[in-house]
Amino acid sequence: MRLRNIVKTNIGLTVIIVAAILLQGISAFQYYYTRSLLAEELEKRAESEITTKVVIVKNALNMAENSLNGHLWDMKRNIAYPDSMYGVAEWVLRSHPNLRGCAIAFVPDFYPEKGRFFKPYAFRKPGSQNNEDFVVKQVGASGYDYTKTGFYKVAESRNTPFWSYPYYNDVTDSRVVTYCSPIHHTTNDIMAMFCLDIDVEWLGDTLNYRHIYPSSYNFLLTETGQLIAGPKFSSEKKRLEMEHIIQLINDSTGEKSLSNSGRSTIFSMKDADGDEGIVFYAKFKGQPRWQIAVVCYEKEVYGKLRMMRRTIGILNLLGLLVLGLIIARFAKNTRKLQKANMEKERISSELRIATNIQKEMLPKTFPPYPERDDLDIYGMLIPAREVGGDLYDFFLRDEKLFFCIGDVSGKGVPAAMVMAVIHSMFRMASAHENNPARIMQTINETSCEGNESNMFVTLFIGVLDLPTGHLRYCDAGHDAPFIVSKYAANKEADANCHLSIVDSKAHLPVGVFDDVKYGMQETRLQPDSTIFLYTDGLTEAKNEEHKQFGLQRTEKVLTCCAEEQLTPQQILEKISQEVHQFVGKAEPSDDLTLLAIRYTPKQYESTIAETLTIKNDVHEVTRFSSFIKSAIEKIGIEKSLARQLRLAVEEAVVNVIDYAYPIGSEGEITIHVKSDGRTFRFQIIDAGVAFDPTMKEKADTTLSAEDRQIGGLGILLVRELMDSINYEREDGKNILTLIKKLKD
Amino acid sequence: MNTKIEELDGKYIATLEGEMDTAAAVEAEEVLKPLYTNGKDVIIDCTGLEYIASSGLRILLTILKGAKACGSKVVMRGVNDDIKNVFKLTGFISIFEFE
Repeated sequence: MRLRNIVKTNIGLTVIIVAAILLQGISAFQYYYTRSLLAEELEKRAESEITTKVVIVKNALNMAENSLNGHLWDMKRNIAYPDSMYGVAEWVLRSHPNLRGCAIAFVPDFYPEKGRFFKPYAFRKPGSQNNEDFVVKQVGASGYDYTKTGFYKVAESRNTPFWSYPYYNDVTDSRVVTYCSPIHHTTNDIMAMFCLDIDVEWLGDTLNYRHIYPSSYNFLLTETGQLIAGPKFSSEKKRLEMEHIIQLINDSTGEKSLSNSGRSTIFSMKDADGDEGIVFYAKFKGQPRWQIAVVCYEKEVYGKLRMMRRTIGILNLLGLLVLGLIIARFAKNTRKLQKANMEKERISSELRIATNIQKEMLPKTFPPYPERDDLDIYGMLIPAREVGGDLYDFFLRDEKLFFCIGDVSGKGVPAAMVMAVIHSMFRMASAHENNPARIMQTINETSCEGNESNMFVTLFIGVLDLPTGHLRYCDAGHDAPFIVSKYAANKEADANCHLSIVDSKAHLPVGVFDDVKYGMQETRLQPDSTIFLYTDGLTEAKNEEHKQFGLQRTEKVLTCCAEEQLTPQQILEKISQEVHQFVGKAEPSDDLTLLAIRYTPKQYESTIAETLTIKNDVHEVTRFSSFIKSAIEKIGIEKSLARQLRLAVEEAVVNVIDYAYPIGSEGEITIHVKSDGRTFRFQIIDAGVAFDPTMKEKADTTLSAEDRQIGGLGILLVRELMDSINYEREDGKNILTLIKKLKD
Repeated sequence: MNTKIEELDGKYIATLEGEMDTAAAVEAEEVLKPLYTNGKDVIIDCTGLEYIASSGLRILLTILKGAKACGSKVVMRGVNDDIKNVFKLTGFISIFEFE
């Protein structure tokens, strides 16, 4: 688990480790494979060296033996002349330049005239530069009984020729090995020992004339492991090393025979300098049963391989270093990329959240007012990107529908932020203002303050008075909405045309200049009409051929909708479906925002309708009180509710008496009471100055007695006791309508 | 409507009877004015009060403010449910004391 974490967290390190292991593995394999090849090669070369050197040595020995045998006849022919034996010995020596000496040691008393011991001996003069400088003399004497010497005795007992151990010959002053061949009479008795001395120094030189490796050397041993001939060492160290090897060979219990298997025996050792040495050695086939050894050094056999290994090691290390650097760089980039990705992920998740927040801000429950039968609204916003810069909103206040649609310049997050700001500004500005132009003015002034990014918004704000169908609106550079009507918009228009465009004086968009004067326009909405608002995401929706959906297509679809008398939801679904089909696989170019408001006021059929006209005098309240009491009594509701109604309307009337006409001036106030038994409608009409009591700030009911203001209680009670309060100014008159639902 | 003030055990007892609409409140205020700056505890007996408009509430609030300024108390007595509801709607329920 921990390893997995390490691998996960440090991929770079892991790659380097794996690469190092692989490289090391490959190198090791290469090394050991090459080494084994070299070892094989070494063995082959050593064996061939041994074979060659054995042949050379044997050749030399055979030549010596042959030259002896060649002169044997000469000797036997002249056997009768003892002095001629000197010549024979000399001739043997002359015939073979590598012989040190030649002696014929006769059995005692062979030539009586020559004394008991007769051994003519020819040898090269020691120290002479001339190889042909011979000394011939008789060496046998009573003081030198050669029959007592080892080789004579051995030759006598064996009665066959043999090669002696190496020994120092003081006559010739050299180390030699002697070939000793018994010479027989016709009677098979030995008559003499014919001896040849071979200089071991020469043997050693011959043996080491050429080496398989520069420092390797060869030497000969007797059967019992005594050194016969070897290289000339300049250093004592080397000589001791060779003696050590000889010791090792003598101690080894391994099979020493080369002859049968064809393979020499190998063992390794360490030399004086600590170098690994490999020794091959083998026994001669046949006589003499000498041994030959070839010594090689590993540093020479595997030296180049080792160097190669070191070089490869260094190269590997360099390679890993480069790899490490590349990985580090790569990892850095990857981390950057990862970070960037995470950042991107974070941003897009925040964008999702922003989209949700944006969606939360807009009205999202449809139908929004299921309890109302005079209003049906449907809206949709389909962002082009994650978040859009379009907005729409609507809300009801005092029987007035406030609505807006807007399009912020640009798209994405900045547009969405501006959109959110504009949205909340709309809510704030229209909380205490019924005039759409003034609402627009407020929004514009506020949004121009510190608008560093120069973003602007096209905005359409409408206020629909629900009791009258009076539509007030203000257009700040936005596409004018359509009115889908059951009736022809005007008489000149084609009877089939149910479509008109709201006449709008387009002002500058919001956020451009803070001193723009926005003007209000108004119209009256016919019953069963639908206001269709949209952003340019509809008309400018592009298909794959970059053609726009356009106004004509919009009109066509809307005409269809009008003929089919579709509900707002159906209209929007049909439009968005058409746009979707039109755009096809093309990338959505802009947010698509649609809002449809259907206005269907119901005719009010009252069973009770009373009217009273009073003067703007507080004493008229008494007259009004009795009027309202009797009117409410006629509706026939329970006492408590009746008192509530009476209180509400009294407060409203007193409010109008107090404020409708300037102090000192006289005016009339007309009061209508209507009821169908289900609802109670109360209307106060006066011709005074425009005064909207619904705009009065609501008194704060949570304050303490000390902080409570004396005023503001009346309108508070009206709002609390009635279901809705609506103010409308029409034809120079203030119309205040109070509605209370009596039963569902 | 009928409005009267009595003094009992160092307290004022104001009795309100009938309907205190806007017009009646004008007359009632003339009677109740002494209570605005009296310095004594006031009991406002509403047992006979059937109706009260905001102008009546304003008088009650003025009495209360005056009493609070002098450190005395105002207690409402016998308030019926309809009027209590009006007190609730206006937030007066939390600033007046009820018996």
